[in-house]
This record gives sequence, structure tokens and C-alpha cells, in this order.
Amino acid sequence: MLTLKLAWKNIWRSRTRSLVVVASIIIGVWSVIFLMSFSLGMGDSYLQSALKNEYGHMQVHHPNYKDDQEAKFTFEEGANVGSIAGVKAYSPRVLSNGMLSTGHGARGVIIKGIDPELEDGVSGIKAFVKEGEYLETGDQRSILVSQKLTEKFKLGLRSKVVLTFQDENGDMQSSAYRVKGIYNSGNAMVDEMRVFVDKQSLAQLMFKNDSLGNRIHEMAFMLTGTDQMDTVQSQLAALFPGELVENYKQLAPDLALMETQIKTSGYIFIFIFMLALIFGIINTMLMAVLERYRELGMLQAIGMGKPRVFSMVVMETFLLSMVGVPIGYLLGYISVKSFGTNGLDLTAFSKGNEMFGMSSTVYPIMDINLFIQLGVAVAITSLVASIYPALKAIRLKPVEAIRKL
Amino acid sequence: MKVIEVKGITKTYNPDKVPVEALRGVDLTIEAGEFTAIVGPSGSGKTTLLNIIGGLDRPTSGDIWIGGTKLNDMSENQLIKFRQKEIGFVFQSYNLIPVLTTAENTEFVMLLQGRSKSERDTRVKELLAEVGLSDKLDKRPSELSGGQQQRVAVARALAAKPKFILADEPTANLDSASTSNLLDIMEKLNHVEHMTFVFSTHDQRVIDRARRVVVLEDGMIKSDDRK
Repeated sequence: MLTLKLAWKNIWRSRTRSLVVVASIIIGVWSVIFLMSFSLGMGDSYLQSALKNEYGHMQVHHPNYKDDQEAKFTFEEGANVGSIAGVKAYSPRVLSNGMLSTGHGARGVIIKGIDPELEDGVSGIKAFVKEGEYLETGDQRSILVSQKLTEKFKLGLRSKVVLTFQDENGDMQSSAYRVKGIYNSGNAMVDEMRVFVDKQSLAQLMFKNDSLGNRIHEMAFMLTGTDQMDTVQSQLAALFPGELVENYKQLAPDLALMETQIKTSGYIFIFIFMLALIFGIINTMLMAVLERYRELGMLQAIGMGKPRVFSMVVMETFLLSMVGVPIGYLLGYISVKSFGTNGLDLTAFSKGNEMFGMSSTVYPIMDINLFIQLGVAVAITSLVASIYPALKAIRLKPVEAIRKL
Repeated sequence: MKVIEVKGITKTYNPDKVPVEALRGVDLTIEAGEFTAIVGPSGSGKTTLLNIIGGLDRPTSGDIWIGGTKLNDMSENQLIKFRQKEIGFVFQSYNLIPVLTTAENTEFVMLLQGRSKSERDTRVKELLAEVGLSDKLDKRPSELSGGQQQRVAVARALAAKPKFILADEPTANLDSASTSNLLDIMEKLNHVEHMTFVFSTHDQRVIDRARRVVVLEDGMIKSDDRK
């Protein structure tokens, strides 16, 4: 208690110097929290875009489909998948890599045959329709194309396009469609590559002998949360025996890599901050010790043991550091909460962001673990930084220190 | 009763480079209740002798006993504990802790010893009354005059009830009135509580009040007079 009391009083001896250290800790803690929350928000924006537009949380395929995307590698849609606990939405899809031909050119696209209602539950595509209307079940010759494609091929609503693809027998099939809706999902790269048609209309052309069956190439799932992923995956594996059930991390290792990279970059931020902090603290505490050289000598002369002097300097450093942490937390919390609600508008960079499927508005995400990690890191850093000044304090010789001017 | 006994003390600084012999065979015994001034010109070795007696420095050779305990063989940590319990220090520059109040400075050594709060409070009040600072309990050193600070230092030195008090040039920074006042207090403590005082000084006012004057010259005792 004596050491703590003395340490606390000592840190306010040179108020300005202590406040400079405290301010640097406040700014450091706040900036790391904000930067990390911003990165998490940006990563989440990318992840959500990828999940909605491409993968969902989970997909089921024929085991051969992934390697060789032939129309024949299908599986039966199955029943009751929507009743599995943890499944928020699912979408059966008939897929084909085909050619989109227009009066202004042609390009390869992924043709997605969807059940419009179920697909909207997974990808939320209906909300992205900017012109015209969304597909309806039974829309035989309607197609949903992206704004990107309409710009490229000068398409408009009711424009005619021709889709050419191979059916399950390897024969080429062509069919004309009229543009019913134009969408923009915010992910330019994906939008440019895909068109949507009604699942049944595509199945009729693809599986001529079995067009009324429930054969699909892909079943995508959105879950209520990623914590349900393992449970749902094992239930789906049981429901679709012999099929390939993969979660998004297996489907797109780059997404898992991105999540890891965000965390890694967070640790790098923290490390850089700690590195700057450690030198700041050592400098300040060394000054504090050297300034009080005579007093520290006197303390040892009148009987304050070296362990107590050492712990006093360590405690001073620790207290000095920990004064700034709660204020940094508070500022971090307020700024993340505020931008987390209102979003941080990055319209100026939105073109670049959209290329990678990220929204132009980023909503920083609060991660309580970051607060804990940062607090622990500052505490450890301050303790490490205090060792040298504390050693300096106990290595002095009282007889020499007392006489120092 | 012998409080301090030093025998054949020598102290050589820089023995491997340019040796300086600060003490050259000092024998000195101080009995309980003595009021002793160690005097001598600058460089005579009086501060070195005081540091060795106080366990702050070690002799090159010779033995030292405090209250019958030999200091020579003690480790650094043992010496710190010994100083805390057995010796009171008063320094030339007061050396109070600037962030603590008069009362807190006075009780500091007792806190180190782990004495109870009630014991500390009683002793602090008693000591500060003795040195005439009862009304300055909550003042910080910066709010006190030099004489008052030195009186706090005396109170702090007495707090742990040491065997003796070592005062290194205690009046060097004080004016006449403060010196006289401080010496009155020390004399009173010596008479009433039989506290043993050992000063190093060149101050004639201190020498005049001392009942024993040990004169050091060139690291040796030149004279040792009791009044």
C-alpha cells in the first residue's frame, strides 16, 4: 500500500511529462481500436458480400462438380433442408457456364437458374434490382442481368439476349431471353460474370429427359450465425450422403485467409504501437529516476529495501500507462459505436471498393477481445519498459546518490 | 554501553587507479547518550567515517560494531534492514520526500517496518510536537522553511526509535535562528530521551554545543575531547 501510494504520488510530480505519456497512450489505444474495428468492418463488408453473392455460409455439390463443372453432375434437391436448426435460408441452383450473346457482342457468363423466392433469402438479390422487376417463379424467358453487363452491351429492359450452353448430354442449347430486371449488387467483379434465370426454365433445356425432376447443381445456405456452421454441416452431410458439403472457408480459402490477415494486421498494429510506447515509457521513467537519484538514495539509506524501490518504479510505470488505457478505451468505444451506427462514408474510394465487393460505406465492428488484448499488451509493455529504469534505481549506491546535487 | 565501536578502520578510494586514503586507521567508541561532533577540514574523512558507521559504505579494512552487531559481514539487504531499524539519518539537504506531507514523511520508516496505524499516528504526533511542528502535519516540504524541513528530518530519524542518530552537516543550509532551534531540539532529545547523536560538521555553533568533539585530520583522529 505504501509503495502504491508513493508511486501514484510520484507520477504526478512532473505533471506535463506524465500527461504527455498518458496522451500518447490514449491516442495509441484509441487509434488501434479504431483502425482494427475499421479493418474488421471492411473485412466483414467483403465477407458478407462474398457470402451473399457467391458462397453463402455453405454449399452442397455433386462430388465431381467442383473439378469438372459438367451439367451431368447433379444431385436431388431433397426435402426439409429449410427445417434444419441454424439454417436461415437456402437456395437450390441449376448452373451452367455459357455464352451471353447480344447485338453488341458476347461474353462468357455463369448462368444461374434459381428459385427466385428462395434465392432472395440467400443472396438478397431482389433488393439490388435497380431497374425493371425481379424474377418470378415460372418466368420462362426472363433474365436478370447486371448493370455492368447492360453498360457493356448497351442493354435495356426487354432487350433480347441469347444464352448458349451445353446440356447434360453435351449438346449445345440456345435460348433467347428478355431482360426483365437490371441489378447492381455492389460487387462489380461478380456482377459482370453472372446472369439469373428461372431454375425450371434452365432445367428444361439442360435436363431434357428429366426436366421436371429436382435435379440441381448447387444448394447454397445462409445460416443464422457462423457458430452454427459445424453442426449444420454435419446435418447436411447426413441429409445429402455422398455429396460434397462445404462451408465458405472450404469453398473459398481466400476468405478464411482474409479473416486471418485482418487479425494478423491487428497484431502488427498493436506491436508497432507497443514498440513506440516502450521507448516513450523508458525515456520518461529514466528521466524520472535520474531526476530523483538523490531521493532514491536517501530512501535506500533510511531502509527502503531494493525490492520495494524496484516495485515502486515498476508500479509508477504501470500506473502511468494504465491511466491512459481507460480513456483510450472510451474514445475508441465512442468512435466505433458512432461510425458503427452511421457508417464511414468512403464514396471517394467506392469504385475501388466495389471492384472487390466492398460497400462504399464501412461500418466499424467492435471486438471486445481487442480491448482485452490491447489492455494486456499495454500492461505487459509498461512492465517490460519499467525494468531498465527500475534496475537503474536499485543499482545506485546510496552513499553516492545522497551527495548528488 | 557502547553504541558504536570502530577499530582500525581504513578506507581507500580508487585502490586500483589513483588511491586516495580517506581513513587511515580510525578507532572510535561512542557510548549511549553521547552528543558527539566529528569535525575536521574538508577531505579529513569525517563524512566517510559517518557513512561507514551508518552502514552506507564499507571500510577497506577494520571492524565496526553497532550495538554489539558486527556490520562488516552483512549483505547489502541485511544492511538496509539494519539501517531501517537501528540508525536514524539526518542529511545536510534534508532529503524529505517532496510528495509526502510532514506527517507522512515522519511515519515513513515506521511504514517500512510495518507498524500499526494507531502506533504510527501516536508516534508522529508525539515527535512533531517535540520538534515544534504540530501545526504543520499536512504541509508538504515545499511549504516549509529549511529549518522546519530539517526538524521533520529529525522527527523522521527518531520515528523508528533507533540506537543513535547520524547527522551529516545538519546545519550547513540553515540560518542562525534555525540552527539554534534545531540544536535546542537535539539537545533536549539527548537529555530527555538519552538519544545518542553523532554529527559531522564544521559549524562552530554545533561544535560549541557538542559534549564530545572528535577532530579528524588526514583520515586519522587528531584529538578526542570530552567537555
